Amino acid sequence: MNGPLIVQSDKTLLLEVDHESADACRRAIAPFAELERAPEHIHTYRVTPLGLWNARAAGHDAEQVVDALVQFSRYPVPHALLVDIAETMSRYGRLTLVKHPAHGLVLTTTDRPVLEEVLRSKKVQPLVGARLDPDNVVVHPSERGQIKQTLLKLGWPAEDLAGYVDGEAHPIALAEDGWALRPYQQQAVEGFWHGGSGVVVLPCGAGKTLVGAGAMAQAKATTLILVTNTVSARQWKHELVKRTTLTEEEIGEYSGTKKEIRPVTIATYQVLTTKRKGVYPHLELFDSRDWGLIVYDEVHLLPAPVFKFTADLQARRRLGLTATLVREDGRESDVFSLIGPKRFDAPWKEIEAQGYIAPADCVEVRVSLSDSERLAYATAETEEKYRFCATTGSKQRVTEALVRRHQGEQTLVIGQYIDQLDELGAHLDAPVIKGETTNAQREKLFDAFREGEISVLVVSKVANFSIDLPEATVAIQVSGTFGSRQEEAQRLGRVLRPKADGHEARFYSVVARDTVDQDFAAHRQRFLAEQGYAYRIVDATELLSAEEDA
Amino acid sequence: MTDTPRTLAEELRTRTDGGLVDLLRARPDLLNPVPGDVTQLATRAGTRASVVRAVERLDRFALQTAEALAVAPDPCPYATLASLMTGAPAPAPDAPPGDAAPHAPSLDAAVLTALPGAVAALRAQALVWGPDDRLRLVRTARELLAPSPAHPSPTGLGPTVAEAAAGMSPGRLQEVIATAGLPPTHDPVTAVAALTSLFTDGERMAALLDEAPAESVAVLDRLLWGPPYGSVTEQPAPHLRWLLERGLLLPAGARNVVLPREAALHLRAGRAHRSPAPVPPALAPVTARDPQAVDAAAAGQAFTALATVEELLKEWDLGGPAVLRAGGLSVRDLKRTATALDTTEQTAAFWLELAHGAGLIASDGEADERFAPTPAAEEWRQLPDDRRWAELVAVWLDATRTAGVVGTADAKGRAAAALGPHLDRSPAPEVRRRALALLAELPPGSAVPEVAVLDRLHWERPLRAAAPESAPAAPGGATPPPGEDLRTRLARWTLAEAELLGVTGRGALSAHGRALLGDAGGPAEAAPRTAPSAAATREAAARAAALLAPLLPEPLDHVLLQADLTAVAPGPLLRPLADTLGVLAEVESKGGATVYRFTPASVRRALDTGRTAAELQEFLTAHSRTPVPQPLAYLIDDVARRHGRLRIGAASAYVRCDDDALLAEILADRRAAPLRLRRLAPTVLAAQTAPDLLLEGLRAMGYAPAAESPEGDVVIARPDAYRTGPRTAPVPVPEGPPVPDAPLLEAAVRAIRAGDLAATAARKPVTTATPAPGAPPRTTSAETLATMQAAVLTNAAVWIGYVNADGAASQRVIAPVRVEGGFVTAYDHTADEVRTYPLHRITGVADLADDTV
Repeated sequence: MNGPLIVQSDKTLLLEVDHESADACRRAIAPFAELERAPEHIHTYRVTPLGLWNARAAGHDAEQVVDALVQFSRYPVPHALLVDIAETMSRYGRLTLVKHPAHGLVLTTTDRPVLEEVLRSKKVQPLVGARLDPDNVVVHPSERGQIKQTLLKLGWPAEDLAGYVDGEAHPIALAEDGWALRPYQQQAVEGFWHGGSGVVVLPCGAGKTLVGAGAMAQAKATTLILVTNTVSARQWKHELVKRTTLTEEEIGEYSGTKKEIRPVTIATYQVLTTKRKGVYPHLELFDSRDWGLIVYDEVHLLPAPVFKFTADLQARRRLGLTATLVREDGRESDVFSLIGPKRFDAPWKEIEAQGYIAPADCVEVRVSLSDSERLAYATAETEEKYRFCATTGSKQRVTEALVRRHQGEQTLVIGQYIDQLDELGAHLDAPVIKGETTNAQREKLFDAFREGEISVLVVSKVANFSIDLPEATVAIQVSGTFGSRQEEAQRLGRVLRPKADGHEARFYSVVARDTVDQDFAAHRQRFLAEQGYAYRIVDATELLSAEEDA
Repeated sequence: MTDTPRTLAEELRTRTDGGLVDLLRARPDLLNPVPGDVTQLATRAGTRASVVRAVERLDRFALQTAEALAVAPDPCPYATLASLMTGAPAPAPDAPPGDAAPHAPSLDAAVLTALPGAVAALRAQALVWGPDDRLRLVRTARELLAPSPAHPSPTGLGPTVAEAAAGMSPGRLQEVIATAGLPPTHDPVTAVAALTSLFTDGERMAALLDEAPAESVAVLDRLLWGPPYGSVTEQPAPHLRWLLERGLLLPAGARNVVLPREAALHLRAGRAHRSPAPVPPALAPVTARDPQAVDAAAAGQAFTALATVEELLKEWDLGGPAVLRAGGLSVRDLKRTATALDTTEQTAAFWLELAHGAGLIASDGEADERFAPTPAAEEWRQLPDDRRWAELVAVWLDATRTAGVVGTADAKGRAAAALGPHLDRSPAPEVRRRALALLAELPPGSAVPEVAVLDRLHWERPLRAAAPESAPAAPGGATPPPGEDLRTRLARWTLAEAELLGVTGRGALSAHGRALLGDAGGPAEAAPRTAPSAAATREAAARAAALLAPLLPEPLDHVLLQADLTAVAPGPLLRPLADTLGVLAEVESKGGATVYRFTPASVRRALDTGRTAAELQEFLTAHSRTPVPQPLAYLIDDVARRHGRLRIGAASAYVRCDDDALLAEILADRRAAPLRLRRLAPTVLAAQTAPDLLLEGLRAMGYAPAAESPEGDVVIARPDAYRTGPRTAPVPVPEGPPVPDAPLLEAAVRAIRAGDLAATAARKPVTTATPAPGAPPRTTSAETLATMQAAVLTNAAVWIGYVNADGAASQRVIAPVRVEGGFVTAYDHTADEVRTYPLHRITGVADLADDTV
């Protein structure tokens, strides 16, 4: 009666992290519960049907889940909840997709009424063919993803046992000269390979690219890598050349500018989702080679059309990489059914504790607006309010002061509004990277930043994703895409890479007091606080006067 | 008095006092009023209403036994009854047609074992009397249970040959017996007897059936287990005609035919019931759980129950929803309450009814009626957890109001409202106790599926179960009511509610649940469960609470504060702490622990109740096990900084602020237009709006204004609790008369004996003063009733003495038409019209000389 876990009526689990058996408990509940919040003392996990089915897919049964809850719970677990868990988990696997020697892909059941029920659904009917016998029905091979998605929505997720094609073999190995996969990266690769397909959740800066490389080395087959943008594609290429036996010639880039198809091809989401005359002209990429592995970088950003294509690729191994399964559009279940269940995750704090990512000091700087600014803010149109308060002069001044304060350190200033960034760039005498900056120019600037030739860089949201700036130790956020939690996580990730000198990273958010800016900031920071990164809130005047004193 | 009693009264007279006490306990309705003597007792025990009541309370096997007696000859030797229940003693010469597969021998053995008990039970209830070789079912019971076209018997048997042939012409009857191969007789009575003896003679009957065409046999098979009626066309098909011609089917009405009872019994190898149920269905399969785990789970749920009721009271603290004109809570308010309690409407209705039953909430009785907590709620809240639980379960156990009914439509199609009228279901307490008692029969920690309990309850009261709700009992269970019967639903609700209250845990009765039942949970079968008095229930609840108390979690005095602006209370909190936190933060998640979230709004609410930022900081520091996170401290200071910066006066509705830019900002804001603000001075705005609306408006704009008194102080807004006047809790409406206790029973039996002695004592013949000629007759009430009933049968007129409502005596000559329910309906020769007289007003009755009328 003194376990570390408290089961709540809304199916959340509260885990007291300082408890002596907290680690054991975390290991026991991780397979089926999603970590929702991980602040300093009590972590919150949520039990969802998806999570329970994930657990089933990974080979856990209801008894283990119930045992874990009962064993670690401090108070008696409501009987209804246990019954509900057993009931939900028993829904998984009543339907299985198997390969039939004569009929190809077949949906088979151990529970005939369930099959009857789903076959009655109008959404399932077009996806299936002839009924072979009461327990088996043919599925069109092209609808393998579609039917999995549909069955999941009907609440009867199918277990996919139809296996994978090996794809065209291609020798790939890790070139571990002077470095090695970190233990958790190794576990992630193994977890993925064992499960066949699925998603690996690792914090920014924890080396997701290496997990991808590790998976490729396992597959030893031609690989298609889907990334968010061209810069990210180049980085993948760079990293793969450096870390694996692959050479520049073996890796192709398929983007707006280049259309190379090589044994390992890196394509951007953007080029795949380009539509001309109502069709997607670059779709043949998926069929251009017999891919053995498909890697999705930043799964949480996967655009809806790519889901559609992915549905057709169910026979190939799929690896999703992401920092968080939170999608602002709530399509987590599509990720589950089309790419695969979560195969591995590790909370940020844990990896930080292991020393693989840098600890960060997050500070919210509250700026009081001047009287005239407040008046202007009050009279601004609703849709203009955020822009106005996010770009006020008071903020500019505080930002510049902060940059000066960290003179000599590699500093990134990140913002949303181009005028604001241009103005800041002019004041700080720093280059600005924005949408119109060419890729060549971008890479040049990034290189210069890396080399330390430039110490301050002003970037717009184009740099949100997948750029690697290992030496940035200070990030200053002046404005963002309203309350996007995703963006906040990515930006913090910029400074979380381990620093050569072990210097603590700093992450500032400059926020205008008593405005919507403050509200959005609260929303964004709540997400980080829930990941264990607590903000300090400091008044700008205090911060700056302290500086003067120093 | 002879050895074999000739009437029920005579038999009752020979019973011991204990026997009579048992009878009166089993049928308490016989006691109201206490019968004058045994004759009256027997008469009353034979009235239809009383017999219906008694029959309804029979278990399935006793009922099957009674049904078998109803189709057996009267009187019926025990051996005949036994063979009706188990099949013919000697195996039929050849296998009977159809699916009348013989019962498994073990079943027959079980029937034979259980039968004496069933007969004894029937006898104890005075439904059967007479020695074993002459068992008699009381006449009313026989009428109730015997098959008739209106009430087909559950046995599926039809009328006897004699009954079915009553409407046939003698000529037709002779044709039938001739075709059946019997010699002609000279009158219908002997013809019927001959046919009957043919059907009851196994060998001759078998021979007759051997000749039957296969299709005819198929027809018999269809009618075999009932219903025994079929319809035929004007020109029956040959195979039907074959049966009709031999009397195997007898006409029943214009186009209908019936399979006579004797023939059916032959085909069934003499069995009255297709599947006798001598043994109650077992409570299985039993899942054994760790009794400690069960108790812990139940205790956890008990705690949740208390928390839920408390939350309900808190939700309604400032006055609950309005009372519908027809009484009760509107569907929308129920939904709202369910959302507030984070549960389903059905469960919310249960909590509402529970709180209402315990007298914690009630209507306030004002002109615009609303529900609100009662003063008793305040007292209840102060009690320790275990006592609070005891109060709730004691009320629940005996309540006749059932929350399960809420939302279902009544006979007029109106949905029953929670807390509204028409929720009383009299059998509820009995079913509730019985269902729990069944669980108590299992070893501690054992759970059985709900359906096992329901099956058992149904076996114990098959008729009550079959009788549609509130309709007059229909013996024989002719038409099953749509949906589930009331008792089953009550039992289902009971099991769900017991789980909600923590009386059971994971489906098994907890130790404190067992204590709650006290002694009532004995294995008594058909005998009515004595409902303990309210005091006894409370006592048992207190005992149960004592067992529960150590299992309830200890309230904590600390929380854990976190940087994501939440506070987690890893268990129940001490009340003052919980109250303050409830104001200072929003509850985000409930269960074993409580998660609170601090928001600017919640902090402002705390400041509004008069606390200062320093006090709040101090409060959090004192009660947090962990340091107060910087963002939280900042949040409180930040809200406090803004709190009260704007001050609004009630006298002239003004906005005052030392910061004239802020006032300018408000004035410039378009959203302030509806507040109609005007700048009076650099630091003061005046409004044309009422101060409260102005407060709302400015808050909506994101400011944190404070109200100001005329003296310029900040007005502290602390909500006042709202209460009804003192209210008494609703009293349960139990079914039927209260169960008599032992002294009453003994006294009643003594009175009956005394009355009986007076009535039957052999007296010296005294010359009774014959009433003066013309004086009204005087007879005892039993005689009056008997004479009246005889007069109805013979259409005779009688002379009565009658006292009217004013006490005036008169004499009348009446011709009784009907005697029922204590009234005589009769043609009154004196008044020359049909009138109804209460029997108790008739002082006496005398026959008239034959030629008077």
